[in-house]
Amino acid sequence: MKRWLALAAVIVAVALLPLLLDPRGYWIRVFTFTLLFAAMAQAWNIVGGLANQTSLGHAAFFGIGAYTSTVLLLKFGISPWLGMLAGGALGGLAALVIAIPTMRLQGHYFALATLAFGEVMRVIANVWTSLTGGPGGLSVPFVPPSLAAYSFKLLRPHAYIALAALVVVTAIFEIIRRGAMGYRLRAIKQNPAAAEVIGVDTTRVKLQAAVISGALIAMLGTLYAQVAVFFDPDTVFGIASISIRIALIAIIGGVGTAAGPILGAFFIIPLEEVMNDLLSSRAAGLSQLVFGVILISVILWRPRGFITVFDSLRARLSRSGAS
Amino acid sequence: MSFLQAILDGLLIGGVYAVISIGLTLVYGVMGIVNFAQAEFLTIGMFTAWFAWAFLGLDPVLAAPLSFAVAFAIGWVVQGQLIARVLSAPSVAQIFLTVGLLIVIENGTLLLFGSQFRSVTTSYQTISLSLGPLFISIPYLIAFAMSLACGVALWWFMRASWFGRAMRATAQNPAAARLMGIDTALMYKMAFALGVGLTAFGGAVILPYVTVYPGVGGQFVVLMFTVVVLGGLGSVAGAVVGGLSVGVIQSLSSLFFPIQLQNLVLFIVFILVLAVRPQGLVGASR
Amino acid sequence: MTMLDVRKVSRRFGGLQALSEVTFSVNQGEIVGVIGPNGAGKTTLFSTLVGLIRPDAGTVTLDGKNLAGLKPHTVAGLGMTKTFQNVALFGESSVLDNVLTAGLLRHGVDAARSEALHCLDRVGLRAVAHKEAGNLSFPERARVELARALCTAPKVLLLDEVMAALNPAEMREIMQLIRSLRDDGVTLLVVEHHMRAIMNVCDRILVLNFGRLLADGTPGQVASDPQVIEAYLGRPAEAARR
Ligand SMILES: Nc1ncnc2c1ncn2[C@@H]1O[C@H](COP(=O)(O)OP(=O)(O)O)[C@@H](O)[C@H]1O
Ligand SMILES: [Mg+2]
Repeated sequence: MKRWLALAAVIVAVALLPLLLDPRGYWIRVFTFTLLFAAMAQAWNIVGGLANQTSLGHAAFFGIGAYTSTVLLLKFGISPWLGMLAGGALGGLAALVIAIPTMRLQGHYFALATLAFGEVMRVIANVWTSLTGGPGGLSVPFVPPSLAAYSFKLLRPHAYIALAALVVVTAIFEIIRRGAMGYRLRAIKQNPAAAEVIGVDTTRVKLQAAVISGALIAMLGTLYAQVAVFFDPDTVFGIASISIRIALIAIIGGVGTAAGPILGAFFIIPLEEVMNDLLSSRAAGLSQLVFGVILISVILWRPRGFITVFDSLRARLSRSGAS
Repeated sequence: MSFLQAILDGLLIGGVYAVISIGLTLVYGVMGIVNFAQAEFLTIGMFTAWFAWAFLGLDPVLAAPLSFAVAFAIGWVVQGQLIARVLSAPSVAQIFLTVGLLIVIENGTLLLFGSQFRSVTTSYQTISLSLGPLFISIPYLIAFAMSLACGVALWWFMRASWFGRAMRATAQNPAAARLMGIDTALMYKMAFALGVGLTAFGGAVILPYVTVYPGVGGQFVVLMFTVVVLGGLGSVAGAVVGGLSVGVIQSLSSLFFPIQLQNLVLFIVFILVLAVRPQGLVGASR
Repeated sequence: MTMLDVRKVSRRFGGLQALSEVTFSVNQGEIVGVIGPNGAGKTTLFSTLVGLIRPDAGTVTLDGKNLAGLKPHTVAGLGMTKTFQNVALFGESSVLDNVLTAGLLRHGVDAARSEALHCLDRVGLRAVAHKEAGNLSFPERARVELARALCTAPKVLLLDEVMAALNPAEMREIMQLIRSLRDDGVTLLVVEHHMRAIMNVCDRILVLNFGRLLADGTPGQVASDPQVIEAYLGRPAEAARR
């Protein structure tokens, strides 16, 4: 009960934040992207955390979502809300297509295969110019502002949509984690043969996780397109810009937990922004370099993510409470 | 005829691919870690050779041992100070440590050397031999010969030297190797340093026909993974077969597909191999 | 009534014939012991029955249904599962979660939880339900393995050396449990090295040697079979005397 109250308090506090930020300003944009990336990392967490398969190719589904809704809007004037559903379906389908051959792979092998799949999609998007506009990218056309058309004058509604998305994805993650599927995924992660023998359909459960994760991240691709307004293949299908970044957010925060991706996003995205602001003017590459150094330091310090800081704090508190 | 020419070019380029990829397979074979930053050592090797050419007037082919030495030293430190600490960590931590390394090296070179493209001029750059109806590009041939020499040296080292045998023993069974008095931490450093050194060596020998810039390593990442996965991750002999195959696949696909789609062919081969035979086409079946 | 029928099942590993034309059948409610020297193929037989290993030839029929090509989870659904000789628990999960996961085969999460607690009661491990499975002692882990298999509500249960490393008192408990399972209508196949235990609890014994079925009969018949005695170099007689 107390935990639920605390959770509600955090959500309300976060919901109030956009009201305090300048609606035309820079920080509300950072805030929106932070929420969006937290949601993306949470969707990744279903495969990366619960099934323990470190995907480095989630940009493939993300890009599919961004392109599907935008192309539907550009060519047929279809509302991005519907486009988001179409993108989610295509993203889920793509996740199924890649999961079938890669499902048996583990650890580094799985990471390599998914990395390559992300690259396949990036190359296709660059080459299929008639559909995607090629390397030049796509601009989301301006339509008169309305909720139904997913078009707003200011960023504030985008921030709330991103927040809602984060809440929904986190809820889905928690439902899976606590439900039958969560038990099954944990079993598969620890001993796939034993899981099969006691009745877990390992193939099916892994495919389900992959499809849910892929579909969710594709839908978030639509949200990204609507906020960013302009994007190109190298951004939405990028290894560094998307695939690695979302995995990183979940890992830095703590993989396999609902709080991990949120912690990670609120650490990494603002940090990146601040560093870009402070350092990019000095020299190209400096901010990314610092970012890499921080990444290495965090992994050496906490190979299982920041979440373990809280665990060890809690352990220390209860120990001192007991004595 | 262009078909034969493509195969010849592919084999020549593929020899280099083999040498730059051996390090990946060596490190995986010995430690079970995939170094996602491996291709960045190609960049380091290329920059080293370029500066040796620009300031010392050294031909890139002669600078290759220097590139090897620089990468070897960096690799030694990286293994001892960074990788060694995650050897027993979950695979996500291992993956992201080397990803972090990739980011640091790519942006470090960007910071130090700027984003401009640099290339060398050599006397033999545009010359080719004709062999009947076929042409053999001299820079390709030199790079291939250097790679071959390097591969033979490595083969000798792994077979005949005490270090090489100790390293293979460590790869097979670290605990047993330790009992036999082998310093496994030293072997890991040796394997990693040697691996990235070879990649840098390969970077130097391709400099006559590839332009260097901070992102050049990124162009080779998936290629290198394809090479080692084709040959079976962990198998050095497999990497040679994988390298030659990738060279030929790439070269042949340029006959049929536009340049942008060449990598696509490679990626698809890569995913298919992983899916169908993760132990590699050359490796024994499990 | 025949519950499990095994016809000419063979399986090679490279140059090694791990199972060769193994044929037997088991009636419902029987307790059948499977014995044989190390490497005889007992574990391979169990793995083949549940579908973890595909036989090169032969058929396995469970309660009238041919299991050819079925995956282990389907076989579990049809009512046959096994325990793992080297204990294959989900080490980072709690004991309860280990067993609960098996209960999900036939129940939702809540029903599976109460079913799992019931199974833990039967093996006497309820007290450690919330401990991490990987932290238990080896005998305890073997019993979790047993509870987990039970929680799939099997018709046929294959136990691969669950009594290894147990003390005599614990062993008696497990034998008691095996009998009570049989009274519930479960059919059991039991691999065990402890001869007295197996002679005591089993209705019938199969002897495997180098992948071949050497003998199939009552404990008394098997113990006096000269071929069996030879295969064991006189060990069963000694073991029985202990
Ligand atoms: N997966 C496998 N690959 C190769 N050989 C195996 C495999 N599993 C078992 N074997 C071999 O098959 C034979 C039978 O093994 P097993 O069934 O474990 O015997 P038991 O359980 O009777 O001791 C042994 O020689 C063993 O080494
Ligand atoms: Mg056995």
